Amino acid sequence: MSVNACRFTTAAVITAILLLTDLQSPSVAEPPRIPVLVPITGFLSLEGTSQRNGAALALEGSGIALEVDDTATSPEVAINAFERTITSGRARDDIVAIVAPMLGTQMLALVPLADEFAVPMITISGTARITELGSPNVFRFFPGDAVVKAAHARYAVKELGVTRPAVLFQTTAYGQSGRTELDRNLTGLNAPPVLSEGLDVSVKDMLPILSKVRETRADALLLHLHAGPSALVIRQARAMGLDIPIVAGSAMHQPETAALLEPSELAGVCAESGASPISESDPAMRAFVEHYRDTFDREPDAFALAQYDGVKMLLAAIGSGAHDAAAIRDYLKTNSYNGLAMRYESDGKGNMAHSAVILCYDGNGRVPAIVKRYNNITGAL
Amino acid sequence: MLVAQLALNAVALGAAYALVAIGFVLVLNATTAVNFAHGESVVAGGFIAVALTGVASGIWPSSLPGIIFLPGVLLLTALLGLAIASLAYLPIRNKPPVSVFVTTIAFGIIVTNGLNAGFGAAPRTVPALLGSGTVEIFGITASRQSLAIIATATLLIGMLAILLQRTQLGRKFRASAQDPEMARALGIRLTRITLLGFALGTAFAGAAGLLLAHQFFITPFDGVGLILKAYVAVVIGGWGSLRGATLGAMLIATFEVAVASVSSQSLAEGLLYIAVLLVLLIRPEGIFGETQRLRA
Amino acid sequence: MSPDRTELIQRQSPLLAGGGALVVYAMFIASSYDQRLLTISGIYVIMVLGYQFIFGHAGALSLAQGAFFGVGAYVTGILGSQLGAGFLATFPASIAIAAGLALIVGIPVLRLASHYFALATLALSQLLLLLAINWEPVTGGANGLPGVPPIQIGDLRIDRGVPQLAFVWGLAGVAILIASRQLRPIRVAMFTVMRESPLAVPAFGIDAGLLRLRAFLLSAAFGGAAGALFVHTNRVVSPETLGFGTMVTCLTMTVVGGRFRISGAIIGALLLTHLPEWFRGFDEYYLVMVGVLLLAMVIFVPDGLASFLKDSSWAGQIRTRARPAEPTDVLDAAKPTLNITNVSKRYGGIQALDRVGMSIETGEIVGLIGPNGAGKTTLANIITGIDRADSGSSKSAHIDLAAATPTAIARNGIARTFQTPQLPNELTVRTAIEVAAANNGGHCLTDTVITSCQLINILDAPCGTLPHGVRRRVEIARALAGQPHLLILDEPAAGLAPDEQTVVAEILRAHAAKGLAILVIDHNIDFLQPLATRLACLDSGRLIADGSVADVLADDAVLTAYFGILRQ
Repeated sequence: MSVNACRFTTAAVITAILLLTDLQSPSVAEPPRIPVLVPITGFLSLEGTSQRNGAALALEGSGIALEVDDTATSPEVAINAFERTITSGRARDDIVAIVAPMLGTQMLALVPLADEFAVPMITISGTARITELGSPNVFRFFPGDAVVKAAHARYAVKELGVTRPAVLFQTTAYGQSGRTELDRNLTGLNAPPVLSEGLDVSVKDMLPILSKVRETRADALLLHLHAGPSALVIRQARAMGLDIPIVAGSAMHQPETAALLEPSELAGVCAESGASPISESDPAMRAFVEHYRDTFDREPDAFALAQYDGVKMLLAAIGSGAHDAAAIRDYLKTNSYNGLAMRYESDGKGNMAHSAVILCYDGNGRVPAIVKRYNNITGAL
Repeated sequence: MLVAQLALNAVALGAAYALVAIGFVLVLNATTAVNFAHGESVVAGGFIAVALTGVASGIWPSSLPGIIFLPGVLLLTALLGLAIASLAYLPIRNKPPVSVFVTTIAFGIIVTNGLNAGFGAAPRTVPALLGSGTVEIFGITASRQSLAIIATATLLIGMLAILLQRTQLGRKFRASAQDPEMARALGIRLTRITLLGFALGTAFAGAAGLLLAHQFFITPFDGVGLILKAYVAVVIGGWGSLRGATLGAMLIATFEVAVASVSSQSLAEGLLYIAVLLVLLIRPEGIFGETQRLRA
Repeated sequence: MSPDRTELIQRQSPLLAGGGALVVYAMFIASSYDQRLLTISGIYVIMVLGYQFIFGHAGALSLAQGAFFGVGAYVTGILGSQLGAGFLATFPASIAIAAGLALIVGIPVLRLASHYFALATLALSQLLLLLAINWEPVTGGANGLPGVPPIQIGDLRIDRGVPQLAFVWGLAGVAILIASRQLRPIRVAMFTVMRESPLAVPAFGIDAGLLRLRAFLLSAAFGGAAGALFVHTNRVVSPETLGFGTMVTCLTMTVVGGRFRISGAIIGALLLTHLPEWFRGFDEYYLVMVGVLLLAMVIFVPDGLASFLKDSSWAGQIRTRARPAEPTDVLDAAKPTLNITNVSKRYGGIQALDRVGMSIETGEIVGLIGPNGAGKTTLANIITGIDRADSGSSKSAHIDLAAATPTAIARNGIARTFQTPQLPNELTVRTAIEVAAANNGGHCLTDTVITSCQLINILDAPCGTLPHGVRRRVEIARALAGQPHLLILDEPAAGLAPDEQTVVAEILRAHAAKGLAILVIDHNIDFLQPLATRLACLDSGRLIADGSVADVLADDAVLTAYFGILRQ
């Protein structure tokens, strides 16, 4: 290619782009954009799909189109998705908020970008650190680890009378974040764990760890594991006759986890969560559950519900006249919102959810009952 | 008693891993190709079982034991093996062997993400081979599935041994593995041997998928972990050796179960890799040495 | 501008034009998203360039490139976010620690062959991954560490967008320069010999261990540099950087682009960074599309997309150093150049050599005969250091052969040829001879050698295309190129037509006349009788005769052993 041809092509391309941008920008009546950046591939796509589905239901009838971009499993792809969303499609100023992934590592990578572009992000990530970075743009609509692990520990110690808990956590971002809070809370309640061990997601046979749990004469098993490993531990513990109470992390509440086990194996199993949509009898919640089931052919979990509530709060903000990112951020900071799962209100750091539930299975079915609600947990002991 | 219990579990896990590793070696012997889609073949076997269970539950009201689905899984994963051979190996068999790494990696990407899009990321389970629950044998509480895994793996490996040692086809297969040029000169059709290796190898992976999916559940993303284990087992045992692959698989399971019970799971994994490095320093060609010269 | 350079630029013009268009696009048209993808691509270019050394040129399947990338990432991540260290400290530290790790691990591990090497590097990677996940206080565990600062040099802050893009590609340019300097034609040829003719590596005077270590260190250093830059673009360091996924990405880029060419690294990195992004529109099916396309690309272009480009400078010819040929040392008096005494060697139950003693003087042509399995090749292997004798001594005029490595022996003037010529198919005749000359000789005698071996017309032919008889002459030329004082030939007449045998005999005679000592192993008495100045005969590992041609051929023991074998 000659230099002239090169120049000509460049000029033509630039002109074309200028023309296109010109055609797109002038209209004022364009609805705002709320891009959804969640993992729809990779090992977190179960949770990411819940996030997407919750957001999709919330956006129905709002006039705002559903834009989904995959963040997969790494910070790199999350940033790619963010940059793509910010710079492609319609004008950047139309983006009033972003639904951000639940993977803590990805959130840690996105926070500097959200600050630079001044876009608020709503997420359901539990990782404590994302609201400790001093960013004004992070809003967490799922109770963080500081909240759910406080409920987790309190239920075990105060309701079940556990004094010698054994803690099994996943060696992933999710597991390690929760473990820190769980150990801290248990120690604060004078029931420090007699055993606290990390499991890789690929660990198959749970007998070694469960035999150690038995040796330590632990009086309860507290899990902070992903869906598959939670079910594995429960099944193998029951098979070997380890009949101590099991209080699992929020992955247990997902209907997909319970589906892996027989109802009899679930007897004596409880779990913490932000909510359990399928357990509620409230009519608004029932309507949500049914609509979700009809739309996606799946049972909703607390992640879908939290994301639904979060997007609904954004819509409430828009409805109240907040039309740009700054106004939305201010709204989220200063207002409260009564969602289906709970009342959301910022604690000043962007933590919007301060309630957790404990649900238990009775051994006859796979739908747990909510046995305890913890409201207004601050995280402090 | 706990020791016996741990040993039983280690053997069951090792037997399932051995099926995976042997499948990998069968492809290796037929082609010298490293099939990086092998982990995904295990996963595919599990999900084929999930799908068959779903279909069967529509026809037959009560739940069927997993053994009913074993022939279907073997057949369909053998077909998958033929697909891998024809799409990812045969077109480039005369090209640098490293190309096959990438074509099989690509095949794995297609399977993983196809399953994720089709079935979702949730872990799945399939019916137990001959019924779930436990039985008491000599004071050990053994899960029926563990025993079934050991029995099925023994049966399949035994049948493979008979095929390779006692039949004309098996002799041709071994001849081609040892010296493809000579085999070709003797009139053995190498393409058929290649297809046989992929079909058998992938069917072994599929069987492992069915066995593992009940005991330990299966997700579309389990392939990478499984191929790494198969690779470690195959190399540490001695590249190309079926005996070595079985021993390697047992070694990995021993670390995951026995060593983990006296240390921790993470430490046991670290110790496994340290042991691998030590073995290589002492025996640079694996425990059993190399039975197959690299022609690459 | 020299004609060479003009020609080079002409040949490279599509690449230069493409590069120019890319620069214009990156600076003026690209959105910040496009710029980010280009930045990431530039980082991967550096990682893949490094991987090409060990995986492409050295031909070793290293599964540690992701680990070196991750080590570089963690060094920068930890020093940057926890200690607030600046780029000028963290970047060199990332490179040094990755390379240091490669040095420690490389020395024991590089001895391993093929998949055993691959497994060892995999084990290393998995151990580092476990460490990154479980050493929470230092690495931040699975969540990783946020707050990695952007690149800052003094008061100059390299922000994301164009500055970061330009900076990364600037460094990628430096990496390309380093790589092309490392990949001087002669070294590329040495790598080719190592991959394709492993038996002949010492004969070419190549120190394979050192060459492989160099490739491994370079791959680690490049990987560490890329990892460091990667962390600056993501502002967080987490275990995925160390994981198998990074390794698979690197392997895929290298195979898709091409394993050997610098342009392959650039194409592979650019394409595979962008590919998933282009398909995002397919929602959860987009990675399926990526897989399909990847499969198609490798099936249709298995040698890498860079194979579409014309040969570029770094794949060109070796610059011949125009040093004048020095006159050969014509020796006044015959003196011993090889002295073997009492050499024995057993393989299992077989006594391959039994107390063999022999001495060869300058200018002599010694024919070594004996039936198959008599120990002739074993003796050649012991002299050239490929095998070690169980007992006895073998010394040349310069070094103790029993203590030296095969490469050192070749470099000290003992050259050999093989029963089947060991020449890499890809190398041209000229290159093969020049590699041996450069490593073994020091004096550049190649022109004389080429003339005397009658290779002038086929200098630019790849060795793989030559008929057997010519390959034999090329190999003799290769052996002579290092200006040896002793030449050992293993069955040089085998498979040659009579006229070809005559040519070989003339070459040998001419060099013996200049003082070269020659040991010829052969069965062919018709070839040896007129050529040799002395004959020696081995039988079942014992030297049963050593003397003038006529004496040995009349010896009873020789007749029984030797013509016995002929009758079989």
